[in-house]
This record gives sequence, C-alpha cells and structure tokens, in this order.
Amino acid sequence: MTLVKTSPAAAPARTAPKPRSRRGRAERRPRVLLAVTGLFFALLYLPIAVVALFSFNSRKSLTVFGGFSLRWYRAFAHDDVLLSSLGTSLRISLVAMAGSVVLGVALALGLVRCRTRLGSLAGLVMLVPLITPEIVTGVASMLLFKGLGVALSTTTVMLSEITFSISYVTVVLRSRVAALNPEVEEAAMDLGATRWQAVRLVTLPALLPAVLASAVLIFALVFDDFVLAYFTTGVDPQPLSVRIYSAIRFGVQPTINAVGTLMLAGSVCLIALALFIPRLFGRRGGLDILSGE
Amino acid sequence: MALLRPSSRSRRRKADSRGNRMWVWFMLPGTLWMTGFLIASLILVAVLAVGTTDELGNPRFGFDLAGVRALADPAYTEVMLRSLGYALLTCLICLLIAYPVAYTIALYGGRYKNALIAAIVVPFFANYLVRMYGWSVVLSDDGPVLRALRATGLADGDTKILNTGVGVIAGLVYGFVVFMIIPLYAALERLDVSLIEAGRDLYGGPVRTFLFVTLPATRQGAAAGLVLVFLPAMGDFVSAQLMGGPDQIMIGNLIQDKFFQGQNWPLGSALTMLLMLVLLLGMFGYLRRTRKDEAEARR
Repeated sequence: MTLVKTSPAAAPARTAPKPRSRRGRAERRPRVLLAVTGLFFALLYLPIAVVALFSFNSRKSLTVFGGFSLRWYRAFAHDDVLLSSLGTSLRISLVAMAGSVVLGVALALGLVRCRTRLGSLAGLVMLVPLITPEIVTGVASMLLFKGLGVALSTTTVMLSEITFSISYVTVVLRSRVAALNPEVEEAAMDLGATRWQAVRLVTLPALLPAVLASAVLIFALVFDDFVLAYFTTGVDPQPLSVRIYSAIRFGVQPTINAVGTLMLAGSVCLIALALFIPRLFGRRGGLDILSGE
Repeated sequence: MALLRPSSRSRRRKADSRGNRMWVWFMLPGTLWMTGFLIASLILVAVLAVGTTDELGNPRFGFDLAGVRALADPAYTEVMLRSLGYALLTCLICLLIAYPVAYTIALYGGRYKNALIAAIVVPFFANYLVRMYGWSVVLSDDGPVLRALRATGLADGDTKILNTGVGVIAGLVYGFVVFMIIPLYAALERLDVSLIEAGRDLYGGPVRTFLFVTLPATRQGAAAGLVLVFLPAMGDFVSAQLMGGPDQIMIGNLIQDKFFQGQNWPLGSALTMLLMLVLLLGMFGYLRRTRKDEAEARR
C-alpha cells in the first residue's frame, strides 16, 4: 500500500504550478523527489533490517523485541538438517561456478570471434534462459530428468544451475571480449605464437578480472537461487533455500531469521567482492558486471 | 577486420577460416550443453502437454488433449487473467516508483550516483526468499507499515495487506522493481541535461518539458524495464504464497501445484506452455516496438 502511495506523491513534483523564478524551481523539484527516493530506500531496507534485528531477539516473536540474544544462531549451529543443507548449497554453488565459468568463457570467446552461422545460432540459444522465467526452466529441467529416468538429487540441481549460469557468464563476458582488441592476439601470432597460445597467454589474462568477478557472482546467485533448486532437488539433502522455503511457509521460524541474516551478509560480501575485484587489477570496478552492459 | 590493409587480406582470410574452426570448438561445449539441457527440456514440456502419466506419476508420451482442453476451465482462465492483471499492475507501479528514484539519482546524485545505485542493486542480489519473508513481516497486521498507516489515520484496525491482492502486488513490486530501475537509470544517465534546459528555455513548463523531452528520451529504458519486470512477475509463485491467500493464487502456484501436489503433469505442462506463450507475445510486442523506434531514429 505504502509502496503504491509513493508514486502519486512524485506526480505533484512534476505537475507543480510554474514557480516564479528558475532558481525557485531548481530548488523545489529535488525536495519532493528526494523524499520519494528516501522513502523508497527506507522500504527497500526495512524488511532486511527486520530480519536482521529479530535474529538477535531473545523471544520467539517478530514484533516484540525482548532483548539481545544469540539464541537463534546457537539453534542454527545445532540444527543438523540446516547444517547439512548449508553444506549441500555450498557444494552445488562451487560445482555450478566451476562448470559455468569454463563453458561460459569459452562460449563468450567463440561467440565474439566466430563469424559462422553456428555462431549466430549459439547466440540465440544462449539468450533463451534470459527470456524464460525460472519456473518454466525449473519445470522443464525436472521433466527432462524424469523423462530420462534420472532420480532427482544434488547432482541434478548442479546440472540445472550450470545450464542457467552459462548464459549469465556469457552475457557478462561477451562485452568484455568484444572490447578487447583482436589485433593484440594477431600481434602475438605474428611473433610466433599459435592461436591457442595467443588465447591462453594474451586474451585470457586480459579477461581474468572479469572472469573472477563473474565467478564470484555466479557462486552467490546459485547459492541464493530457489526456484530452479526447488524443482530439481531430491528429497534429501535439500539446498538451504529450499529448506528456508518449507520453513517460512509455515509461519514464524526464528532460526530462519538467523540463517537469513547470515545468508544476506554472505551475499552482500560476495557481491561487494565481485565489484571490487577489477580494482585489484587496477581496472575501473563497476556495476556493469551485474548488468552485463 | 575492415582496417586490414589489402595486401595482407588473402593471408588473413586463410588464417581467419582456420581461426574460425578453433572458435567453433570453443563454442561447441557450451552450445551443446544448453541445447541438450535447455532447448531439449523446453521441447519436452511441449510434448508432455499432450501426453499422459502412468500410475506412478512418470511422464508417458502420447497424444491426449485432456491437459490442453482443461485450460479452458473457467477456474484456470480466472487464475490466468488474475496473473496477467497482477503482473501488468506490478509493471505500472514499478514504473511509477522507479522513475522518480532513477531520475533523482541520475540528475541529483552527483558523486554518490554509483554508490546509490549499488545500494539498490546489492540487496536485490541477496536471497529472494529471505527478502520476501522480511517484506511479509513488514506488511503483516502489526508490522511497521500498517502501524504507521494507522497512526496517520490512513488505515483503520481492519485494514489488511497480507492475504489480499494488494499484498501480492506489493510482494511482486518489492521483488522486481530493481529490473525497472537499472534500465531507466541507464537511460536517464545518458540523457543530455541541456535538452531539459532547452525545453525550459523554449517556455515549456516542467510538465510539458517532462512529457515532450524527458519521457520520450527515456522511453526505451522504460520499455526494457517493463519487459524485465513482466517476465519474472508473471511466473512468480512465492509472492502469492507468502502475501496472498487462496483467492490470490497465480499461474505459477497452479503450475507448482500440478507438479508437486496434484501430480497432473500434462496439465502442468500445458499451463507452463500457456505461460510461455503469453510471455513470448509480450516479448514480441516489445521487439516490434523497439525495432520501429530504431527505424524512426535512423530516419
């Protein structure tokens, strides 16, 4: 409701009657816009703050704060089911990261440099996951495994997550590869390097920061992914986000606050790391790694 | 390639075709993987939509239109139309929220621009479920939002957000508004501020300047944002589950139900295909629109 309310509040900023002087207008406009933006940020962070705050609650309530306590973190540390899910999620993320980065980097290089019909076809195939909602990908993956007679397990989650992540890695790296000057590779070859040596010794090192950054991001994305994991996981062990889903469907679960807070903190650290990696190499770090632009 | 001198062209061309072969080998594993796992599985969904299942719930191929015919059931039509309505409203609300926010950051953000956009994007990459769970707590009957609304007299004791359509849409907006902010911000960043000043100098009021200068210049960003929000909003089932009640279910919940509880896989596949169809129509409309825009821009 409040979210809806913010937008009409913005309209008067633009439809305000013409002020007397240009200066007055320049000062008036931002004030309303700033208020809207401030409210947006408040509502954006409020749910996250609530989860984090009540994870330290000594009581089993989400509305009354009884005092500071690490009770729910201790409960998590002693919950074998949640801990095994955490291990499963970490393993899935690592495998998906390794697989999709190797396949995705090769695909991005090939897509940019290869000018054949297969190249444009591969470009189209790669775009499919981006225009398919996750529930469709999830249903499709599940049916594929069932159709092949493969029992759903951690392995099937890994395979599906790789499929989805390849296109992400490819989209992000494609623009980086395109920005490289192919003549540097040619120069290496003129100096006696083979094609493969030129790629290995010249192109890949130049792409390293972007590759590392996208690897970290894929790890975070796969770890946090829920829909695809939900459709392709077996009964036991389940990834952490699937466990969280079953828990929050049935009301207040203070342990989930603790797990959720740890997961939020973990993802934020990973994303910050991904943004920071290019700077370690003396490149301009930036948000473009998130959007692939 | 065009920069190459003519003398070296034939040598290069030979090297190119050999190089092409290597790049094909680079592409092959990824492309095969995607084709095998994704394209094949999407085709399987289409095939199973006209198939059946055996007693154990395993898919059986065949030709049986029961699943497709069941889509005409008014109960399903209602859910489909509701999902469409929720998704479109979500798009509209996201646009209305994202525009002033992106505008403020792009034009008044100064040197904090990147930090502010990062502050919006980073939480969206954090766990979707945990965020939605936190949002459902915030919007709950004695959560901070309703308390604030009651204190200001905008809501009375009976007003609820959870278990209503408003709650589901609020969830979808919270989940996907970032997909509207990023393209809008990119478009507004590119916008030449002197265009707005020129509009004012030509005696356009703030409204007219906005309508005839700012808005058209950022139309493509808005269109991209609408598509990016519409796609996940239409397929979402978490928001309806956490924020809505049984009367607010969306097509995603139906699909989930057919595969997990109902075990009616052909019907589930048919619903999935229907969802894909709606989204492809949306994509098609968007692509035609942008192509027209590009053609006009070239003229």
